[in-house]
Amino acid sequence: MTDPISPRDDHSTTASNAGPTRPDGGNSTRADGGETQSRVFLEDGDAELDRGPLQRWVDDSIKNPDKVYRAMFYTAAIFFLVTTLFPFYWLLMVALTPEGQLSDIILTPNGFNPGAFIEVFQTIPFHWYVFNSFVIATASTVLVLVVGSLAGYAFGRLEFPAKVPLLLLVLVISFFPPAAFFIPLNDLFNTSFFILEPITGDGTLYNTPGAMVLPLSAIFMPLAIFILTTFYAQIPDGLEDAARVEGTTRLGALFRVIIPLSAPGVATAGVLTFIAVYNEFFFSFLMTDGQPESWAPLLEGILAYQGQYEVLYHLMAAASIIGVIPVAILVIVAQEKIVSGLTAGALKE
Amino acid sequence: MAQVTLENVTKRYDDVTAVDDVSMEIEDGEFVTFVGPSGCGKSTTMETVAGLTKPTEGRVYIGDDDVTTLAPKDRGVAMVFQNIALFPHMDVYDNISFGLQLRTYEDEEIERRVEQAADIVQLEGMLDRMPDEMSGGQRQRVAIARAIVRNPDVFLMDEPLANLDAKLRVHMRTELQRLHRELGTTIIYVTHDQAEAMTMSDRIAVLNAGKLQQLAPPLVCYNEPANRFVAGFIGSPSMNFLEGELVDDGLETKNFTIGIDHDVVPGATIGDAITLGVRPEDVHLVEYADSLTDPTDRISARTDVLEPMGDEVFVYLLLADQAERSMDQDPASSPNQLLMSVTPDTDIQEEQSVDVVLDRSKIHIFETATGKSLAHGIVDRSDQESGPTATEAE
Repeated sequence: MTDPISPRDDHSTTASNAGPTRPDGGNSTRADGGETQSRVFLEDGDAELDRGPLQRWVDDSIKNPDKVYRAMFYTAAIFFLVTTLFPFYWLLMVALTPEGQLSDIILTPNGFNPGAFIEVFQTIPFHWYVFNSFVIATASTVLVLVVGSLAGYAFGRLEFPAKVPLLLLVLVISFFPPAAFFIPLNDLFNTSFFILEPITGDGTLYNTPGAMVLPLSAIFMPLAIFILTTFYAQIPDGLEDAARVEGTTRLGALFRVIIPLSAPGVATAGVLTFIAVYNEFFFSFLMTDGQPESWAPLLEGILAYQGQYEVLYHLMAAASIIGVIPVAILVIVAQEKIVSGLTAGALKE
Repeated sequence: MAQVTLENVTKRYDDVTAVDDVSMEIEDGEFVTFVGPSGCGKSTTMETVAGLTKPTEGRVYIGDDDVTTLAPKDRGVAMVFQNIALFPHMDVYDNISFGLQLRTYEDEEIERRVEQAADIVQLEGMLDRMPDEMSGGQRQRVAIARAIVRNPDVFLMDEPLANLDAKLRVHMRTELQRLHRELGTTIIYVTHDQAEAMTMSDRIAVLNAGKLQQLAPPLVCYNEPANRFVAGFIGSPSMNFLEGELVDDGLETKNFTIGIDHDVVPGATIGDAITLGVRPEDVHLVEYADSLTDPTDRISARTDVLEPMGDEVFVYLLLADQAERSMDQDPASSPNQLLMSVTPDTDIQEEQSVDVVLDRSKIHIFETATGKSLAHGIVDRSDQESGPTATEAE
C-alpha cells in the first residue's frame, strides 16, 4: 500500500511549495494523521482538498487497476502456498527432531537428527509398503487409462443411441461415497473363487492388489472418462480417417494417433488417478491385514510406527515425507509431458 | 491399378439422403472428378469408395472385388484429405512411412520407397521436419507422398487444394496432373472448384442433391450439358437462363423471340414451357457479330453494370426498359437480364442502348419442368452442314 503521508509524484510542485511552511519536516510520521491533514490543507489543488489517505489510495487503484490485481494475486498465492507448504515444513521439522523432544516444535526442530530418514527403514520394511502402493497406483492408473480411453473414444467420437444418458450414468457412480460399496466388496473379496486359486492361493482377493485396484479404478474411472472424452472429441476426424485409410483399425487409430495427440489429457487423467489411488485411505486401510507381504500400502506403513505403548511421531513424519517423493517425481515428469503435448499440437482443421 | 464401380450406391442419414442411387464406372487409370455444390454428396460418395462410410444400399467394386463391407485398410486405396491430416506428432518420414510400417515391410524397403515418394513430390531433405515447421504446400506434398508410397490401386483426393492459397493451388494443379501421368493410377478427385475439375479430369461427375447429373469429359459437360443444373454449374460466370415457350414461329421468351423450326427441338411440342440457355461469351454486340455464321435476330437492350476483368469485360444487360434491378433475383435466371462477355477493347459504356445477337449454334434448350436438356444449338436443319448437332449428352 502507498504510504498515505509521502507526497505523490504528481504533486511535486505543490509539495515543494508546501515545504517551507512546514517547520516540523521530520514529524511526518505522526500516528494520528494530523500531519497529513495539514498537508492536504496546504495543497492548493482544489480537487485534492478533501482527500484522505484511503480515498487517495482508492483513486490510485481506479487509475491503475493492474496494481490491485497484482496485490490480490500475491495475497492469494501466498495464502495457498502457506497453507499447503507449511504442513510440509512442519513435517520436516518434526522428522528432524530427536525422539523425546517432540513437544513445542514451532518453527525450528528441537535438535537435529537426520538419522530418522534411515531409521524409518530399519524399524519396519517401509520401502516394501512404498513399493506396494506404487504397484497398486500404477496398476489402477493403467487400468483406468485403458478402459477410460475405450470409453472416451466411444463417448467422444461415435454416435450411438442413449449416449448422453449413458455418460451421465457413468458419472452417477462417482456420486456414491466409497463406504457405500465397502461391505459388499469386502464380502466379495473374502469369498473364495475356484478360478482365482492358482493366482491368489486361497481363491480370495483379500490381501492382494486386486482388492484395492478394482474398487479404486472403478471409483476414479468416471473422472478419467470425462477428461478423455473431452480430449478425444477434439481430435479432427480427418486424422482418424487418414490413419484408417493408411492401414489401422479403429482401435489402432486410437492408440497410434488419437491418444498420442491427446497426451495432455491422458497425462492429466493419469496423474490425477495415480495421486488419488496412491493417497487413498479407506480401501487401502481395510482391504489388507496391514502386513507388507499382504500388499499393504504406504498408509499402513506410516501407521505401523504407532505401537500400543509409543507413537514414533518423528518416524511417521519422516516416512510421510519419503512417501511423497514418488508422487512429486511423477508430477514433475508428467508436467513436462503435458507441456510438450501442448506445444506439439499444431492441428489444422 | 483398378477400375472402380459404384452400383446404385445410396447413403441415407436419419433425415437426409446424402447419396441417392449413384452408379458409375471409372476406368483403370482414369482421372475422374466429382464436382458439385456444398452438400451435394460428392465427399460422401468418395467416402463410400474409401470405406470410411458404409453405403445404406448398393455395392462398391474396386477391380473385380466387392469391397462394400471391407475396412478402409484392406481396399488398396490411399486418400489425400482436405485438411491435409498429417499426423502432427510424427516427422515427415514417419508420416510418409506410417502405412508401410503397419504392414510387414523390411526397413530398407520402407526407406527406399519413402525416398522415392519424397523424390516424386520434391521433398528431398525435409524428411526429418515436423509438419508444423512446413508451409501449406509442403504439407500437402507430404500428404500426397504418404498416399503414393503404398502404390495404391486407387487414389482418392478430397478437395486437397482447398486450403492452399490461389497461386499455390494453380501450381499444385499442374503437379497433380504430372503425378497422374507418371503414376497412371486411377484417381478420384473431389472438388467444388470447377476450374480444377475442368483442367485436370478425364471425366467429370457432376453431382447435385445426392444424384449424379452427368458423367462426361469436361468439354462435353461444358458444351453439351445434360441438364440445366450442369449447364449452370459448369462455366464461370454462369450460363444465362431465360424461361419461355415454344410457339409456332419459334421460341418466345419474355422480351424477345427467336425464330426456329421447332423440329430442331426434339421431344418438345408447341406450347411447351422451355428454358433457353446461353453462355455470356455467346452473346455478341451486333457491331462485333460479323464472324458469326448463324446469329439470331437483334435483341435490343440497355447496359447496366460493367465488370472489367482484365482479359474480358462482363456486361449486365437489361432487356426491358422498365426492367427492375431486383437484388434478390439471381441475374443468371432473371427473365429481364442477360450477362454478356466482351473483349476489353470493345467500345461500350454503362447505361447505353445496344443491340445484341446470340450465337444460335451455342444456344441450349432445356425443358423448364424437369431441367432436362432438349437441344444444344438451334441451327436450322436445312442449312446445317458443319454446325454442331443437337445431341443428347452421353
